[in-house]
Amino acid sequence: MKTLVLGLGNELIADDGVAIRIARILSQHLKSRDDVDVLESSQHGLALIDLFSGYDKAIIVDAIKTGAHKPGSVVTMSSTELSAVEAPSPHFTGVPEMIRIAQDIGLPFPKSIQIVAIEVVDQSTVGGPMTLNVEKAIPDAVAAIDALIYTTTSEILAS
Amino acid sequence: MGTRVSIDPITRLEGHGKIDIFINDKGDVDRAYFQVPELRGFEQFAKGRPAEDMPQITSRICGVCPMAHHMASSKALDDLYKVQLPSTAKKIRELMYNVFFIEDHALHFFYLGGPDFIVGPKAPKAERNILGVLGKVGMEIGKEVIGMRRELRTLMNDICGKAIHPVFGLPGGVSKVITREEQQRLIEVSKHAVEFGKFCLKAFDDIVLKNPEYVKLITSGTYTHRTYYMGMVDADNRINFYDGDIRVVDPDGKERVKFAPRDYLQHIGEHVEQWSYVKFCFLKDVGWNGFKDGKESGVYAVAPIGRLNAAEGFPTPLAQQAADKYFSTLGGKPVHYTLATNWARLIELLYSAERMRELAADPEIDSSDVRAIPTEKPTEGIGIVEAPRGTLIHHYKTDDRGLITDANLIVATQGNLARIALSVDKAARGLIHAGRVDDGILNMVEMAFRAYDPCNGCATHSLPGQMPLVVSVYDSKHNLTQEIRRD
Repeated sequence: MKTLVLGLGNELIADDGVAIRIARILSQHLKSRDDVDVLESSQHGLALIDLFSGYDKAIIVDAIKTGAHKPGSVVTMSSTELSAVEAPSPHFTGVPEMIRIAQDIGLPFPKSIQIVAIEVVDQSTVGGPMTLNVEKAIPDAVAAIDALIYTTTSEILAS
Repeated sequence: MGTRVSIDPITRLEGHGKIDIFINDKGDVDRAYFQVPELRGFEQFAKGRPAEDMPQITSRICGVCPMAHHMASSKALDDLYKVQLPSTAKKIRELMYNVFFIEDHALHFFYLGGPDFIVGPKAPKAERNILGVLGKVGMEIGKEVIGMRRELRTLMNDICGKAIHPVFGLPGGVSKVITREEQQRLIEVSKHAVEFGKFCLKAFDDIVLKNPEYVKLITSGTYTHRTYYMGMVDADNRINFYDGDIRVVDPDGKERVKFAPRDYLQHIGEHVEQWSYVKFCFLKDVGWNGFKDGKESGVYAVAPIGRLNAAEGFPTPLAQQAADKYFSTLGGKPVHYTLATNWARLIELLYSAERMRELAADPEIDSSDVRAIPTEKPTEGIGIVEAPRGTLIHHYKTDDRGLITDANLIVATQGNLARIALSVDKAARGLIHAGRVDDGILNMVEMAFRAYDPCNGCATHSLPGQMPLVVSVYDSKHNLTQEIRRD
């Protein structure tokens, strides 16, 4: 049973780097776990499909800007809660579509993908500082991901 | 002004393609705007940094085409340090750049003709996505695309240090030689890539071209603009993605101007509009005359249709053959149909594969002479490449120590922005009448910009979750009267 934790974002751009920071903390935390890999990427959409291949479970960490949550809120959701929608290009392909494509073409792919998203404020200032509430959310997000990994491990031990 | 309709992505994708449509009291479109976000602060961020860091920094700006930024930046450094590349270094750069192009263009196969085409522009929205496409074209093709990309990415990883953020372009050359063993792998993969390119075009032929409805849609007036076209060409005016002069043809296909990268500022202007933060590129020589097409308007197009129109042909035989068919099917050169982009892109993929095959087999490619050490004092450097989405310009000025004092990027999509705005406005005017706005019509308005595959921020990536859209309709008093959600 292999788990992938994938931090997405751009560390050069203000809050957009929050998931990359989280991934780096987690890769230290989880150094001794050979059943968990922590990766980071600035790519998106269908370009990410190869990264998931071969894992049983995946957790995506990403910045999100919905305006529906307070800045710094950590929101956890499952890929099943996301619906496949029409995307304008391969760069906007969504998780549900990726899973379906992988299944249909027989790519070994995680059956479930969880998403830990941090509501951010500034995603467009190059070299800009991370905003305070987003920075403060990092320990919460790390704890949320640790808990997800722990739950996964417990499920396996129990089964 | 009557009603305002906005097609607005609500997640972090906000701004990636927001369309505002203003409807007048008669229910017709008054004006439609295509809005995109702008990356702020890049110049400030770059100032004071060593110029040689720029290929790494700029490739990290963008999650979509990092290799294009890396290459434009490396070329700007060559110019900055006034250094001539050894022939092998130049060939290695062009070789790996074409590997990147195949990889990037291949991803688009899943969007062959756009989900709109394959499944049909008026199909129920639930089917109008990539799964509908794959359902129609067959999953074996999907496997082939994923496999091809994996081979290409492995090569990029081994030769460029990293597939996503390459670390191999240096002022005056590249950081690593190509070994005999790597050359053999490149040759093998290039053969596969050529077959893959042919296969993609065959699929396009079977699925799109054999369906008269799709051809009719490609050539429909809604998605047609007679603009200027720009692209990079070699000494014989044939397409090259890595190096050459920039050639511009007019709406009749005649050469308007050809210029060296160093002279880009004399030819490319940037127009500012009140309603957008992003600057719209235009031809200075013709002038900015608003969002119009025709010879009197400086609006031009880049990327696949721009490149195919701006060049006199491809230097490789199979791509040339495919281009001949493209032009003869679409009524000759230049092709003004925006929706022809996906076809043009597949022809470019085949060219890149053929060029990869040529360069991989080049007897010089495994030479160890891959770097000329700069000795001149840096002052100013300009580097231009063709990115998958169009002409990409990097321009740096430095002090004597090589620290950046000024940096200017004109990113690929900027070259298409005025034409995209034109397309969206024209589609909205043509399709929305008597205030009737439904999902099918809005989809056809969005198709006007989708074909360009706009990628504007060169900054943000997206939560690969979903791209919901909210369409809000407001009356003249700004009261919300209608909301169409896509989530």
